[in-house]
Amino acid sequence: MHELSIAQSIVDSAREHATLNGGRRVVRIGVRVGEISGVAVEALEFCFGMTVQDTDMDGAALELERIPVRFRCSRCAHEFHPVEFLGQCPTCGSDGATMIAGDELGLSFLELE
Amino acid sequence: MAERVEVRQSVLKENDRIAGELREALAARQILCLNLISSPGAGKTSILESTLDALRGTSRRVAVLTGDIQTERDADRLRRFGFPALQITTGGTCHLDASMVRRALEEMPLDGLDVLFIENVGNLVCPASYDLGEDAKVVVLSVAEGDDKPLKYPGIFRRARLMLLHKIDLLPYTRFSREAAVADARRVNPEIEVLETSCLAEPGLGAWLRWIEGRLEEKRQAGRPARV
Repeated sequence: MHELSIAQSIVDSAREHATLNGGRRVVRIGVRVGEISGVAVEALEFCFGMTVQDTDMDGAALELERIPVRFRCSRCAHEFHPVEFLGQCPTCGSDGATMIAGDELGLSFLELE
Repeated sequence: MAERVEVRQSVLKENDRIAGELREALAARQILCLNLISSPGAGKTSILESTLDALRGTSRRVAVLTGDIQTERDADRLRRFGFPALQITTGGTCHLDASMVRRALEEMPLDGLDVLFIENVGNLVCPASYDLGEDAKVVVLSVAEGDDKPLKYPGIFRRARLMLLHKIDLLPYTRFSREAAVADARRVNPEIEVLETSCLAEPGLGAWLRWIEGRLEEKRQAGRPARV
C-alpha cells in the first residue's frame, strides 16, 4: 500500500508544473501505470481523491492509462503481450524477446485552466 | 478552456533526484550499496547477521540500514557484530524511500565504509518502485515460499540484479522447484544472476560473500581514473 505516497508525488509534481505555468489551476492529470509497476489503480484513485480534497487542486481529475507488458522479438521485431512473461514469439517462434513496456509509472500530461 | 500540457517524467521524480544524490555520495567514497528485498521471513536479517559475522574477521568495513514498520529489533540483532547498524522505523509505510535513507545517513557517517547494506521492509511489491541510490537490488527468495513468486511479483524480479535462493538446505522438505523458480525469474529478467545460500548448512554464504567482493572490485575499477 504505497499508493498514498505515489498520489502525493503526483500532486506535488502537478502543482510544480502549474506554478511554472503561471499558477494556473490543474483540472486533469494523466498518468501512465505499467502492468508490473506495482501500483493498484483503484487504490491510487482513492488516495488521489483524499490527497487533493480541500486543496487548490480539489476536483482535479486523475486519468490513468494502464500500460500492458509488451515484448519485442529480437529476431523478427514482432511486438506481443506475453502470457506469463513467456518470451516465445507467436509469429516466428524465436525465444529471444525483450520487454519494451509495462513497468512505467510516469506523468504524461496536465490540463491547466 | 483548459490547455493540455505534455509532461514526460517519472511520478517518483523527487525520490529519484534524492537517490541520485545518494548514489553520487556513495560513488565519491567508493562504497558499494546493496538493497535487500524479500517477503517477510525469507531471511534478510539472518543473511545480514551471518554476513557481518563473516566480515568481522576481515579488513572490510560495512554498515547496515534496516527498515521496519515497527520495533528496533533488527538493528539490535545486527549491532552485535561490531559494525554500525541503524534502524529506520517507517511507522506504517511498507517500503523505504530515498529521503528516509538520506535522513538515516545524517546519523551514520559513510567515511571509511566499503559496503552499505540496506535491508528493506519485508514486502515484494512496494520496495521495487523506489530507487535508494543502490548499486544493485538483491531479491531474496526462500525455498520455504512458493516457486511461483517471480511470476506473481514480476516487478522486483525485473529490477533485481541478483536473486538469492535462500534456505536452500530445506529443499528436500518442500515442493519448491529451483529449476522453475530460476526459469521464471529469467523470463521476467534474462540478466538476473542467481546464487544458492543457507545460513545454517551447506552451501553457506560463500558464493554471496564472493559476489559482494566482485561487485566492490567492479565498482572500484570503474571509479578509478583511466591510466595514461
